[in-house]
Amino acid sequence: MRYIKWIFWVVFVVIVFAFFHYTLPQRDIVRVTGTEIIRQDFSGWNRIFYAQADAGNEETVNRDLRLINTAYEGGGIMVFRNEDTGFGWPWYFKLDSSNLQAEAADLVSTRDAPIWVAITHYGWRNEFLTIYPNAISVREVSGPDVRLIPWLNIIIFVILGLLLLGLYRLLQRFKRRKIDPLVAQVEDSWDRAEVKAAQAGENARAPVRNFFRRWFGS
Amino acid sequence: MFAWVRLAFMALILMTIVYLCLSWYSRSVRREKLEKEFDAGGIDGDRQAFIDKGLEKYSGSLRAKLIWGVYIIPFVLIAILVYVTNFM
Repeated sequence: MRYIKWIFWVVFVVIVFAFFHYTLPQRDIVRVTGTEIIRQDFSGWNRIFYAQADAGNEETVNRDLRLINTAYEGGGIMVFRNEDTGFGWPWYFKLDSSNLQAEAADLVSTRDAPIWVAITHYGWRNEFLTIYPNAISVREVSGPDVRLIPWLNIIIFVILGLLLLGLYRLLQRFKRRKIDPLVAQVEDSWDRAEVKAAQAGENARAPVRNFFRRWFGS
Repeated sequence: MFAWVRLAFMALILMTIVYLCLSWYSRSVRREKLEKEFDAGGIDGDRQAFIDKGLEKYSGSLRAKLIWGVYIIPFVLIAILVYVTNFM
C-alpha cells in the first residue's frame, strides 16, 4: 500500500512538472540560421503537440508549418515551429506567426557575423514524435551570455501559489462553517439514538433475567 | 474563428464558479465578524436581526461589488496579452 502511495505521488509530481515545463515560456539565446516551411501530416500521436490552423483559417487534415532553424553558441541546433496559438491552449494569444517569420528571416546571420537573439518559446523538441517547441517572439540581444530573468514565470507561480492558498482558506472555512455543524448535529442524534437503543436492550433483557433469578435464585 | 467563442464560453463558466465561491467566502467572513461583534457584548436587541442588518449593509458595499472584478480582470488581461504578444 505504501508503494502505491509513493508511485502515485511520483507520477503526480512528474505530470505537474512536465505540464509546466511544456506550457510555460522559456528563452533560448540562439543565432537564426534560416526559416522554412514544410508540409506537416499530423498523426494521432503528435497532433496534440501542435496548435491549430492560423487564427483566421479553416482546420484541415494537414497544412504547412513554419519552422525557424537556429544554432546555439556551443554548436548545438534547435528547430522551432512558428504557429498561431490563437485563442486555444496554451494561452499565449499568438496571432502573428507570419510577422514573426518575417522578423526571424530578417535576423538570419552567419557564424562569422552572428546576431544573437532571445527566442521566447514553449514546448518540446522530440525527434521520435516529430514535434517542435513553438516560438512566441524573437528579440535581439547583445551577446550569447546575456542573463535573462524569467519574470513572467515568477509572476505566474506567485499567482498560482496565492490561488492555491485562497482555495485552501476557502475549503477550510467551508468545512468549519458548513460541514462541522452538520457533523455535530448528526453526532448528536447518533448519541441520542445510542442511548435509546441501550435502553431498549435493557428493557428486552429484563424479563429473561427476572425469570432466571426467580427460578434459580442467582 | 470559432476558438475564441469556445474560450469565452469556458471562461464564463469558470469565472461564474470563482465568483460564487468568492462571494460566499467574503460574505461568510463578514458574517463571522458580525457574530463575534455581537457576542463580545454591549449590543442590544436580537442577535439574528443584528447579523441580518449587517449583512444587508455589506451587500451594498464596495467590497461586495469589487468581486465583479472576477469577470472583468481576465478579459482585460486577455486584451493586454493579445496586444503584447502580437503588436508590441
